[in-house]
Amino acid sequence: MKDYKRYIIALGLLTVSFLYIFISNETGVARIFVNLLTFAGIYGLAAIGINIHFGWTGLLNFGHAAFMGIGAYTTVLLIPHALGREGVVVETGLPLPIAVVIGMLAAALLGLILGLPTLRLRGDYLAIVTIAAAEIFRLLIRDFEDLTGGVYGVIQFSEALQSLRPNFITNLATSIEVSSSQLWVGVITWILIIFTLLFLNRLQKSPWGRALRAVREDEDAVRALGKNAVWLKLQSFMLGASIGGLSGILLAFNYGTLQVSTFVPVLTFYLWAALILGGVGSLAGPALGAVIFWVIISGTDSLAEIFFENANGQQLAGVRFVFVGLLIMFTMIFTPSGILGKKEELLLDIK
Amino acid sequence: MIEQLGNGLLLGLIVAIASVSLSLLYGVTRIVNFAHGEIIALGAVLTLFFSSSPESSFLYLDRFSPLGSSFIVSSIASILLCGVFGALLELCLFRPLRKNNYGNVAVLVITIGLSIFLRHIFLLFASAKPASYALDLQKREDYFGIQLTPRNVQVLIIGSIVMILVGLFLTYTKTGRAMRAVRDSSELASVSGINSDYIITLTWIFSSMLAGFTGIIQGVINNVRWNMGFLILLIFAGSILGGIGTSFGAMFGGFIIGMLVQLSVGLSFMDGHTEAKNAIALALMILILLIRPQGIFGSKERIS
Repeated sequence: MKDYKRYIIALGLLTVSFLYIFISNETGVARIFVNLLTFAGIYGLAAIGINIHFGWTGLLNFGHAAFMGIGAYTTVLLIPHALGREGVVVETGLPLPIAVVIGMLAAALLGLILGLPTLRLRGDYLAIVTIAAAEIFRLLIRDFEDLTGGVYGVIQFSEALQSLRPNFITNLATSIEVSSSQLWVGVITWILIIFTLLFLNRLQKSPWGRALRAVREDEDAVRALGKNAVWLKLQSFMLGASIGGLSGILLAFNYGTLQVSTFVPVLTFYLWAALILGGVGSLAGPALGAVIFWVIISGTDSLAEIFFENANGQQLAGVRFVFVGLLIMFTMIFTPSGILGKKEELLLDIK
Repeated sequence: MIEQLGNGLLLGLIVAIASVSLSLLYGVTRIVNFAHGEIIALGAVLTLFFSSSPESSFLYLDRFSPLGSSFIVSSIASILLCGVFGALLELCLFRPLRKNNYGNVAVLVITIGLSIFLRHIFLLFASAKPASYALDLQKREDYFGIQLTPRNVQVLIIGSIVMILVGLFLTYTKTGRAMRAVRDSSELASVSGINSDYIITLTWIFSSMLAGFTGIIQGVINNVRWNMGFLILLIFAGSILGGIGTSFGAMFGGFIIGMLVQLSVGLSFMDGHTEAKNAIALALMILILLIRPQGIFGSKERIS
């Protein structure tokens, strides 16, 4: 398929899905849009991280939730915050930008620690190891309550970001009746996505980016040409992990509280669904996939009402996840290259 | 630590049987099946549906009422249905994928989708609350210093017999030998006249029935939950520890992992960190993959 046709399909899907939201909701459309686009942006950014691992380098990372988590926890614990249960209030901390950079570095460091021993494993083993590592991370966060707040989480940290909110965002939010703090997080998220994509676009065309794709296609050939394939993989792992860390930080600010239950393995599967839907290996695919993914799962809530009278929260979530599962299966079976991906860029037969 | 020994034996048995079934399936089909835990849950949930009394309304929406048959009949029916389900998965999903040359990674992602799909079907139909089978409550008694209920002892005995039977089946029957032949080299197996499609289907049935059996005993020992398939990570840990693709190795590895998880609860530095007990097993799995990726009993060519 020609490239421009793919973009037309993408545009058409986006239009249809937004129209669907307009039609299916009578009130509060602006609020629904801001909520959806903010979450989609954050998931999209995280999926861009996985795309560097899988789409560019061919590494199966199923532990992205851990990278998001360590970024979020590091940043939030470095700025003024309070621990959920004990009420320990920390009023002094680093300035937010520095804390964010340290959070991203922490995620990259976790990527290095995890990648150093494991990247020589075969594809499917790497998938199991990363998912296990993410579970270990989550269980440790949950159990070491003194440091992380455990199941009670971390609260009262949003001010560091919200105090930077310009007045016109607040005014805009009031005029369209949406949460001003969420609008601010959403705006920042999409600005960061644009910068990340511009940066990755340059990187992809650089010798380094070409070398990465060469690793994905034929590792032995890369070695024969004198490049250090393992080091290239590690760099890719760290870069994708730090982008994951950044998205985790944004996710924390979007929720306003930091809960360990956010970083369950299912979060990673969500991201994979967005990535596969948008197109593995394509630059903007993950972000587009995340938007369409969020439209689909918000649409399932009205579907749940058909099956259940007065569906409770758990049943709504159940129906939602049933669709996520089907979505992952059907996309992978029928259009493995997604909406924007190119078939020849897709390496799925790692033996 | 000693008070955890009984629980350790039980979890060890569960993970051991589940690991054999996962490992055999992987060996024969090369599928890293993340949905295996959901077949375990299917066995437990079906048995719950068949055996609970018709008045109990805690599950299956309100539209269906449980059948209230005897527990033994329910278990056997569930295990058979798990086998049918395994066959359907092979015939409707995995065989077409194989014939169309889908790569390992694509199939792995599809099994993850399948797992999410099935797990939440259980959530929708079997409610979110843990449920128990309609069996009378029993007290723990002392068996050679190990605290177990009489029913736990029955489970241990039946489970051990099943494991021995599986071992005998794989070693001595024609079908079992054919399964191992396809596992070791599907090309050589087909040259010597083994119909590999047929053997793969049989493996799916056999492995799914074993998984269903695991689910039922887990339901007897603990309870039935919609997300009990999450055991899959421990099963992977067990299979990898013993050597994925092996049978007896996986049995051994699974047993060690199950014991380790329960016994680590008793360690002094784990005080107040009970949630982290699974973390130790998973960390051990990662360690094994790093120093001996073929596992304790695996051979090197399986993982190259």
